[in-house]
Amino acid sequence: MKITDKLIASIDKKLERFDPLWRAEHGQGGQRSRYYDKTGIEKYREWRGVKDTMYDYSIWLKNLGSMGLMVARNPVRVVKGIWEYRWMGSYLGTFIFINRLYEGYRGDELRVAHMGMHQIVASLTRLIGRVLANDKRLGGGPLSDTIVPMDEVIPPLFMKGFKGLTGIPLQLLPEFIICDIDQQLPPHYIDVAESFGLAADVCSRCAVETGVAFDDAFPIFGKAFLTTNMPCNASECTSMFQRRRVDLPDMPLTFAMQHNTKEGNEYSVQILKDAIDFVEEQYGVKYDWDNLFKYAKELNEQNTIEMEKWEFFKTPYSPLSGISETMYKLYEWAAANGTEHRFTKNDRKVIKIMRKCYKEKYLPFGGKTRHRAFMWGPSAVYYTDMPTWCQNCWGITLVLNMDSTMGHNMISTEDPDQAIKDLARMSEKAVMRHHAVGGWENVNALWAWAKSFNCDMILFNDNIACKGMNGVHAVMEEQARELGLHFIFIEHDLEDNRSCPRRDMRKCVNNYMSIVLNEEPLDPTLVDFDDSEAY
Amino acid sequence: MKDLKHLIYFENLLQDAQNELVTKAVEEGKYALGYNCFYIPEVLLNLPGCFSSRLRAPRCSSSDVANYYMTTRNCPYVRSILERAIEGGYNYLSALFGAESCAAMERMEEHFELLHPVKNDKFFVTIMDPPMRGDKTNLDYYKVELKKNLIDPLRENLGVDVSEEAMRQAIAEHNELCRVVTEIGNFRKLPNPPITGYEFHVIQLVTEVCPHYLILPYLKETLEELKTREPEPEFPFRAKLVVVGSEVDDPEFTKLIETCGAMVVADRYCFGSFPGREQIEIHQGETAFEAICRHYLYWSQCARFMDGEKIDQRHREVEYLVKEFGADGVIFENMKFCEFWSYEKILASHIFTNELHIPCCTIEKEYALGSVGQLRTRFQAFIESLEIKTIQGGA
Repeated sequence: MKITDKLIASIDKKLERFDPLWRAEHGQGGQRSRYYDKTGIEKYREWRGVKDTMYDYSIWLKNLGSMGLMVARNPVRVVKGIWEYRWMGSYLGTFIFINRLYEGYRGDELRVAHMGMHQIVASLTRLIGRVLANDKRLGGGPLSDTIVPMDEVIPPLFMKGFKGLTGIPLQLLPEFIICDIDQQLPPHYIDVAESFGLAADVCSRCAVETGVAFDDAFPIFGKAFLTTNMPCNASECTSMFQRRRVDLPDMPLTFAMQHNTKEGNEYSVQILKDAIDFVEEQYGVKYDWDNLFKYAKELNEQNTIEMEKWEFFKTPYSPLSGISETMYKLYEWAAANGTEHRFTKNDRKVIKIMRKCYKEKYLPFGGKTRHRAFMWGPSAVYYTDMPTWCQNCWGITLVLNMDSTMGHNMISTEDPDQAIKDLARMSEKAVMRHHAVGGWENVNALWAWAKSFNCDMILFNDNIACKGMNGVHAVMEEQARELGLHFIFIEHDLEDNRSCPRRDMRKCVNNYMSIVLNEEPLDPTLVDFDDSEAY
Repeated sequence: MKDLKHLIYFENLLQDAQNELVTKAVEEGKYALGYNCFYIPEVLLNLPGCFSSRLRAPRCSSSDVANYYMTTRNCPYVRSILERAIEGGYNYLSALFGAESCAAMERMEEHFELLHPVKNDKFFVTIMDPPMRGDKTNLDYYKVELKKNLIDPLRENLGVDVSEEAMRQAIAEHNELCRVVTEIGNFRKLPNPPITGYEFHVIQLVTEVCPHYLILPYLKETLEELKTREPEPEFPFRAKLVVVGSEVDDPEFTKLIETCGAMVVADRYCFGSFPGREQIEIHQGETAFEAICRHYLYWSQCARFMDGEKIDQRHREVEYLVKEFGADGVIFENMKFCEFWSYEKILASHIFTNELHIPCCTIEKEYALGSVGQLRTRFQAFIESLEIKTIQGGA
């Protein structure tokens, strides 16, 4: 052992009483003791030992640097953006958000989590800068008319065929990302939508998008708008409002709902062809297959690495799990989708760490995992750190999330005819869509996924406004019983924390773990607490 | 007005999904083919040897078992249909042709496969993927889906004749029924109509739930009766309204509006006659099947169509009905938990009120018309506001 390692070990030993994991283990408090009551405000940063605390802090500085760079590039527009858009202010909560996501993380799980998150921060800050610099509400910019506003669920890779144009998911900044960061923001937009008469029982994600549209809080750019029917009924409806509010020529990309059929796939191919014609006509450009192929190679490499990651997920030695897996995959696939090389580079580094961990039989989270769970159904975005809570409170590792199983098919990099079929397939299997719509067998695939990833538990996200998932409630529960799997419905309202607060969501798990399984929590301070005022 | 000769008979036919005419047709060896949605062309379910049966759950007062399967947070129409199926109310069906027109509908139709509630050896279920735009790409897809999920299974599972001749015959019979129903409905355009909205609602519903060949003679007789029926000496209502929105298969809803003082002169909702009773034309060079697909895609007013043209068509059609039937306003209803019509309701009410200047009252309703006090209050207030407008000369 090197002298520095000895020194660090000695300091760690001396200071271990400040480590919330140690404190929970020794009955002297725990993670929640670090917070002011009701809030997400920490009294002090988490002590994780010398190395991990320094690493955590260095990444904090790196993320701060990315945000600083964004402001430095165009300070006037950033200030104008904060002045114009309510959602911009919520991005200030990013640091608190990251802290709560990776609470209790140590060693390699902390490293891969932060590596992924930093890519998201770097990508996102660049995107915010670009959007604000070209937003016509703020005076427009040089790229205003070369941006194609599109629905967040259309895979951005498709847009790479339009060289010189940039596809930007319209809802990404005002809704899709920010609702993960600040649970207090979406209710405002829901209230706006409901004040116009929208029923309170529709999906809250779509209600938020509608509220953003009514509130004129979408940035404005481009010459035409691509909407979509994905993933579900309410998102189709909100698209109809957005097209009206955005007031640009639009085309809805209505991919097949029943996407397991040859006919459905052929139809979706034609939809993409129609979309190419539409954009070509509106922007006066030609679709460039070579440019698409260039970025498809990126996505293919990411997907290849992802498949290898899945093999490690099946073992107890994966440092990547829970929210670090979910959040990264969601952003990498749904938002970047092969269009940014930084994610490929990160994947290459992460897979090396995962191989090392497997080789060394590294048990993450101090080997305290008691259950391996598959999370099914769309998660509550106002409680993104719920997987972390499950891990820290009850030792439940979330091995994989339903949305991480979305379209991982390879895209042809040589043949345009095959490439468009592959793109259609990938679009049909997009986020919240692969398993949530298109027939019973897509939902019922849960058991095969859970088995293949060696899970003994299902955490079933029960979005109270999701008509499709509500429609299979009992048959799923009955099957879980037959298969002998632990099955927990977690009621939530996707973006509206008022109907099913985080505390009530935790209660669903607490009740099962303590009453049905008769288990003791790893950290008693996490069992029941009030965080209703937190970001 | 003197009661219509067959009204009570018609009302009785609506008391059960398996009414006496359905039973008679099944006993005659006809296949009863169930469906829920306009995307399934009724005419194709009336090919020789079959008859269509649009699924209702009359007198459904609770859906406890269906609630267990689909939760109480789902569309009450689909829960009621599932409940009725589990109760054994659709055992006369030989098939259910479903459509993934909305998530709740699709899940309900899946339960017909998962739970096997219909005790009929021949029974099978198909669920199609209906179009979402009105363009050629979607027309082509609609044809493919209908062929795969309706035409082929009819031929293969039940041996139904799906030839061009058979389809032309079905169209001719369908058109005859539509002609009669449209003529009956057109009486509602008169300043003092010899028919009420409630009566028409009953008539329209029996055409959707009874075998056409058995109900048609009664309809023809009713049409003749209406030609000479003496209306009230003075128009007995204070206003005329068009009802627009999602599923309404309970004529008591129309009766409720009319007891509040407004006549329902046009019915633009699922199970209504707009759309539904337009005659199908076969254009030159078209096959009967192509004509059917084009017709249903064009006329569908479903709130899930996403393209601008179909969205505008939805509002234009209501504007046309208001003018054509001399209505004073629109009642826009949506079924509780219906995402499509909930969204469409706020868009349409904005367009009707602010752009088309058509007075509009929006309401949300349950499937079973239980406590109606709130609705009555809303309707009364709306009708009063229309009256005031009339008194003030439309100001």
